[in-house]
Amino acid sequence: MQARIERLRRNLTGTLPFIAPVHVMVLGVIVIPSLFVVWLSFHASTFGQAATFVGFDNYVRVLSDSYFWRSLLNTVIIIAVAVHLELVIGLGMALLFAAGLPFQRLLLVVVLAPYAISEVTAVAMWRFLFDPDVGPVTVAIRSLGLPPLDWTFIPEHGLALVGLLTIWLHLPFTFVILYAARLAIPKDLYEAGKTDGASPIQLFRNITLPLLAPAMLIAMLFRYIFAFRLFSEVWLMTQGGPARTTEVVAVYLYLEAFRYNSFGTAAATAWIMVIISLLLASGYIWRLRKETAANAH
Amino acid sequence: MTLNVTRRHFLAGSAAGATMLLGRPAFAQSKTLNVLSHLVHQNVLTKGNAGDVIAPWRETEGAEISWTTLDSNPLQDRLFREASLNQTDFHVGYVIDNRVTPEIAGLFEPLDSFQAADPIEDFDDIAAGLRSAMTVGGKLVGIPVRHATQALFYNEALLEEAGVGAPPTTIEELVEQAKKLTFTSKAGTPVVGMTLASDLAVFPVMFARAFGGDFIDSEFKVVPNREAMEKGLSVLADLFKAGALPRSYATTRNDDMVTWLQQGRAAFGVLPFARFAQLNNSEQSAFPGKIKAVAFPGSAGGAEMAAVVESWAMAIPANSADKELSWSFIKAVSSKAVTLGAARNGNGPVRVSTYADAEFSASQPLAKIEAATLAKARPAFPAFPEAVRAQATFLEEVQLAVLGRKSPQEAVAAIVERVTPLLPA
Repeated sequence: MQARIERLRRNLTGTLPFIAPVHVMVLGVIVIPSLFVVWLSFHASTFGQAATFVGFDNYVRVLSDSYFWRSLLNTVIIIAVAVHLELVIGLGMALLFAAGLPFQRLLLVVVLAPYAISEVTAVAMWRFLFDPDVGPVTVAIRSLGLPPLDWTFIPEHGLALVGLLTIWLHLPFTFVILYAARLAIPKDLYEAGKTDGASPIQLFRNITLPLLAPAMLIAMLFRYIFAFRLFSEVWLMTQGGPARTTEVVAVYLYLEAFRYNSFGTAAATAWIMVIISLLLASGYIWRLRKETAANAH
Repeated sequence: MTLNVTRRHFLAGSAAGATMLLGRPAFAQSKTLNVLSHLVHQNVLTKGNAGDVIAPWRETEGAEISWTTLDSNPLQDRLFREASLNQTDFHVGYVIDNRVTPEIAGLFEPLDSFQAADPIEDFDDIAAGLRSAMTVGGKLVGIPVRHATQALFYNEALLEEAGVGAPPTTIEELVEQAKKLTFTSKAGTPVVGMTLASDLAVFPVMFARAFGGDFIDSEFKVVPNREAMEKGLSVLADLFKAGALPRSYATTRNDDMVTWLQQGRAAFGVLPFARFAQLNNSEQSAFPGKIKAVAFPGSAGGAEMAAVVESWAMAIPANSADKELSWSFIKAVSSKAVTLGAARNGNGPVRVSTYADAEFSASQPLAKIEAATLAKARPAFPAFPEAVRAQATFLEEVQLAVLGRKSPQEAVAAIVERVTPLLPA
């Protein structure tokens, strides 16, 4: 026993200096700020005033605010549409690329390009393209006799444009994950399937889809979490307007914290966002664990 | 030839380097004043017709100025954060009048003792209304440095093209002309009668005041004249419905208004007088010398129009290290000479005497109109802790009314109901 303790002490002495910086960094960058935000969420705090303890009042205020619920609904709608469309389009593109395309390298650069563009630049570009008075896309839609995308006036159109922009910006992420996973599927499986007389649809349903499922789940999981933090696209495009109708949760939080300087309610909103993100992710993580366990047998 | 560095050479070299570094304070003797402001505050002191008007102060004090510039809202946020710390590196910060609540005022050094010991030249020459906005709980916390008084800008060339002989003298004429000026110009540009930003209370408040109304008065009464506010919102809704306000009204910002006027896409716009030079800048504007301004008109036979004025002041964070240097800078910037120079560089001067300067008046075609407008102007609303939230609520209801989602009457009722609980008890 004495020898084991001595060995453990010697191991710790040897390894601690190497792992301590990581722990200090995680503690300083994530744990302590998170705990501070928890503390702040139970206090009323603004500039020039000492923080005062208010219990769960900030949480009650946020959860009873109709603007929070509207922003949450907008966020959920954009996530549900954008993430699933990204998945479908990304999957289609990954299969196309895996099947082989002319000028494949050039096309790969084109597909990945939006991911290299900063969100601010992308939104500025889209605002110009879709300007309701003189935007080239608006003019083109008008000249074709189609109904205009009236995104500055009709909230649904505003949300649709934000959704389109989000898909355009983040499609490369989903595509890269699915394309890499598709390339990792052994060719032998397809050859065996073809030998057994399987049609392309059967090959897709019985080989591609089951083997891509874990990658699809991971792509969706990450995109759900990222999309839940959606901010720049909405803030720079509509600022949540007209009349706060296109606001999303991150914009709601930003307004509370940096416009109204109500740090307590902003902190409570942040923690509510964390909890919702965890709930969203938990289902996928459970499924992923189940599949990993099944594959291990 | 090979370079052979021995341990002795290395040690000798290190010692020589350290000795040289010890001599460095001789280079670093000059002081640095850190200022947190908007870019426009830096520009009006350092660039323009009058040139670098703060250079004499730098030479006298042997100090350099390090400017950190941000847009208005982030600037206020950063300044209040800095002032909330134990100590800040910033010596001077620029604050907007409607943000200085009693709580915020507590973050800044009271300036009365500085003014008593080392007074600013002819302090009473600074507009009384602007000074009082910076006096909170009997303490002077900021020295006014810039005002932005709203004017009605118009494109003279477009007015001529549409057969309008003179700018409007009443709000009714303005509406009529704005509708007439919603057309396609000879150049083929689609023109809207008027452009207005939708994210600031300034604009709907101007329209309400044209009919004798207001948003929140100095006694904290919300919408003291409902009928006037309803009329103001009805006019805006009518302009939008007629296409005389852009379809993109809900996303129009201040900078968009400047661009629309410069490009001849809008005939009228409401902007501070100080924008005159920018709107007529031949490098940016398609109509240099053709964009002119008048005082925003009131209703025919209505109450006297009081334009909206927003002012900036210089303040010293209470946790600042060198307050003497801060005050020295503030005193220099507030002097008559620097105020005049900054005004020639495009600043809205806070001193009455600046407008009386013959040379300045001659070089600034709007000086007389601006001075007359400033004399009657007042802020869009008074400062109070929930003022920003109140403004956002007000703007939300205004947008709903202008876009036709609510009647002006419903919007005004909602403004009163939602803003009243936000006021100080």
